[in-house]
Amino acid sequence: MNYIIAPEFTPLIDAIETHLMGKRETIALSLATFFAGGHLLLEDIPGVGKTTLAKHLSQVLGLDFGRIQFTSDMLPSDILGVNYYNQKEGSFIFKKGPIFTSFLLADEINRSMPKTQSALLQAMEEGIITIDGTRYTLPEPFFVIGTENPHEEVGTFPLPTSQLDRFMCSFGIGYPDRESEREILKGERGHSASNSDALLTPQQIESYMKQASMVTLSDTLLDFLQEIIAYTRESGLFEYGLSTRGALSLTAMTKSWAMLQGRTYATADDLQAVTSVVCSHRLKFREGPTTAKRIHDEIFTHIRSDI
Amino acid sequence: MLSLKHLQDIKLSPLALLDSAYIIVLLPLMLILKVPMLIFSFIVLVLLFFKKTPADKFLIVFVFLMGILALYLSLYGLFSFRGLSRLKLFLELLVYVLIIVVSMQRLTREINFYLLLSPILFLALSLFFFHGIMMLSYVIVEIFILLWLILAHRMSGDMIESFRASMVMFMYSLPWVVVLFIFFPRISFDHADYGFKGENIQRMGHDGTMYLDRKALLVPSDRIVMEVGFDKEVPSSDKLYFRGSILYVDKKDHWEPLPSYLKRESQTYYPTQGERVDYKVTLYPTQKRWIYLLDMPARAVKDADLDRDLISTVEKPIKAPIHYLASSSLSPKFHDILDQDTLYASSHFDRNRNPKTYQEAQKINKRFNTPDKRASALIKFFQNQSLTYTLKPKALDINNTADSFLFDKRLGYCVHFASSFVIMARMAGIPSRIVTGYKADKANSLKNYLPVKERDAHAWAELYINDHWVRFETTSTASAIDEEAAEVLGTNSTDEGEKAIIKRVNLYLMYVKYQVETWILYYSNIRQLQLLQYAKENPRFIFLFVLSLLALVLITFSITLYFRRPRCTHKILCILEPLLKKLKKEGYNREKDETMHQFFLRYLKDHPDKSAIKEVDTYYETISYGGDSSTATIKRLKSMVKKSLSS
Repeated sequence: MNYIIAPEFTPLIDAIETHLMGKRETIALSLATFFAGGHLLLEDIPGVGKTTLAKHLSQVLGLDFGRIQFTSDMLPSDILGVNYYNQKEGSFIFKKGPIFTSFLLADEINRSMPKTQSALLQAMEEGIITIDGTRYTLPEPFFVIGTENPHEEVGTFPLPTSQLDRFMCSFGIGYPDRESEREILKGERGHSASNSDALLTPQQIESYMKQASMVTLSDTLLDFLQEIIAYTRESGLFEYGLSTRGALSLTAMTKSWAMLQGRTYATADDLQAVTSVVCSHRLKFREGPTTAKRIHDEIFTHIRSDI
Repeated sequence: MLSLKHLQDIKLSPLALLDSAYIIVLLPLMLILKVPMLIFSFIVLVLLFFKKTPADKFLIVFVFLMGILALYLSLYGLFSFRGLSRLKLFLELLVYVLIIVVSMQRLTREINFYLLLSPILFLALSLFFFHGIMMLSYVIVEIFILLWLILAHRMSGDMIESFRASMVMFMYSLPWVVVLFIFFPRISFDHADYGFKGENIQRMGHDGTMYLDRKALLVPSDRIVMEVGFDKEVPSSDKLYFRGSILYVDKKDHWEPLPSYLKRESQTYYPTQGERVDYKVTLYPTQKRWIYLLDMPARAVKDADLDRDLISTVEKPIKAPIHYLASSSLSPKFHDILDQDTLYASSHFDRNRNPKTYQEAQKINKRFNTPDKRASALIKFFQNQSLTYTLKPKALDINNTADSFLFDKRLGYCVHFASSFVIMARMAGIPSRIVTGYKADKANSLKNYLPVKERDAHAWAELYINDHWVRFETTSTASAIDEEAAEVLGTNSTDEGEKAIIKRVNLYLMYVKYQVETWILYYSNIRQLQLLQYAKENPRFIFLFVLSLLALVLITFSITLYFRRPRCTHKILCILEPLLKKLKKEGYNREKDETMHQFFLRYLKDHPDKSAIKEVDTYYETISYGGDSSTATIKRLKSMVKKSLSS
């Protein structure tokens, strides 16, 4: 992947990288997802640094960090909160759940029942939740990192398509490369324990998010984008094509990725860089395994960046 | 190529494609539509233009009634059961009905089978009304455009792609059409006249009588009477006399041929000396029976008579263009033995008329005793009368035309000259007669092609001298030509340059048309045999033919290739193309999943010194994605591409 992170973002990535060695690209993509206003689904085995990434990302961004460990006996009220009767006051009082935070780590999201999973739906899509007919607004920004272990099958409830579609991006972290792993093993740099300092103010975050949404998409790029979308729908390779929300996510991610590189316009490279992470949880090959690389290769060997 | 670029973006709807087809096929038919029908068509057009929704029942009924009214008005007075038997009227009716039906269907904005079929019907119908080379070319264009439109419809309205496809189809078919055409003349008509014969009646410059009164007012028309193709060069102007008819009888105000009961017996024809020429004639409908041959015809044309006065006629009036091969001896005189009746007819004059002329004739008669001397004296006399050639003569005294012309008015054209000359010659004792026909001008010819026009109609005299009929060009005795006549005749050498060029261009066009007609429209097995004969005699011709055929195939092939070349759809890619080609030569091929930027980066990794390519990359990105497609940036990109090419 070709990219040069703009100088204003390199400190952020550097800061996180000290805790997650050799995963600059993953970090950058996570940041891009955040600035694009989406949610992130990390799919990987335990112990590769999903939680570390989430924790340090929230710290660097200076956001409240909330964490929900999903279990099979969890109920929606455990996430959203509950109305309880205050006898002293003689009225119902709403006790906010752990979802009322700016940065939510939904750990092992596929362990809970679908009912509980879908409790997250409205929150993730609209930034509001409704309990007993009352609407509660979640803080701005609201960013969810969901993690799941794709290889575990016993006692898991695979995420419904509607839920998956609400995550903008999905990727794994993967094993660190040899060099980074050696560093980690040496223990010279803190792996997860220490904390990071906040590097951005809420105002900065807001302006970056705005900047990301203002990135220009040229007609040439939109043509390319539409070709890709059409290809996922019409090639017959996939069980179903990219939804409109998926297409919007792709656009937002492309813009955000361009912004991260300090550009005011997006290029075909940006689109290529983010397509597989946006599509990998949304598309499913009719035959054979669905992997991010396969999606990337399949799409970009058939559709050229310049029409 | 701005318009082409626009065309590229246009995607026509099926209805628009159908409309284009209708416009193309209806254009020629518009020329035959009567005014009420034209108005109806116009109203339908206006309705179509302003009403974008499907028409309701009332509107369709309204249009139907209007159509019927227009049809009634158009055919008012023409329509009868007797009239219906005339096929052309019937076809016209068919066209009208079709227009009404199509209009009604079109207003519903639904495409059905009949609407799709009708353009072909219109095309076929238009073939009945028009004929000749123009329609042939137009039909070819029509077929091409219809093919294009059909393909465009199949290609969901992509005008450029479909144009390319139809062009390729056309190009591929072209050499084979030529080959098939040459080897199978049957596929061409022997007389490729579209439409029906005998519908247009024209008055000819030459019609067998010759008037001296007001009826004789000349209209110097440019209508083509016939086209003559000589086997060799066109003979000089003073030999281009096309014989029409012979007039013997002076009826005061006009001249007539011998009465039919005095028909001269057909006798052995006496061939004359002189230069022999062979030529082909295409004679356009005259509604008369004359066939025009050059003085003097050497033999009769196939299926035509040649009488003793060397006048050639066919059995029936000529109602369609005819083609004949003829042969003549270019001689001003021919031998003839006069029978009693003809001698009388050619010597007769009215003693009571033209006393002055008679007086003068008698003087000549007394002074000279041989016919040839008398004839030259006559010429001299005419020359001394200071006669003016004009196309607008003053009316002559009908009872004494010769006197009136020679001594009083002194204004006239060929008719007056010839008439007076013959009258006087007879008075001087020389049997004489008037010949009418056409006298062409070599100046109007091109190579071996000579068009003869209505304005070339002419009359001259023939005097019987020493057992020979001798031609006398009587107008040459005129001592002056008035300006108008000079201009019309083209003798005015100070013809304005522009006019001369137009004339010349016109002549070239006619020549091309004639060649096409001779070799394409009238290509028959006779022509094929001629061609074969010619090929046998000239082996070089075969070589040239094969070579040109090969060239044709090659050209069509290259045109096909040209049309099938990968199109440079993207403006920026077009600019980058030479650079990409150069990199390809260096072994850098852009991978399928590589963006242009990635490709350049890969190249730059191996060639970090190529700063120009780096610049190209930057400009490419800003133009393609940065939304900066200003001409300045594009210019810079171009210059950078150039720079990177040279480095």
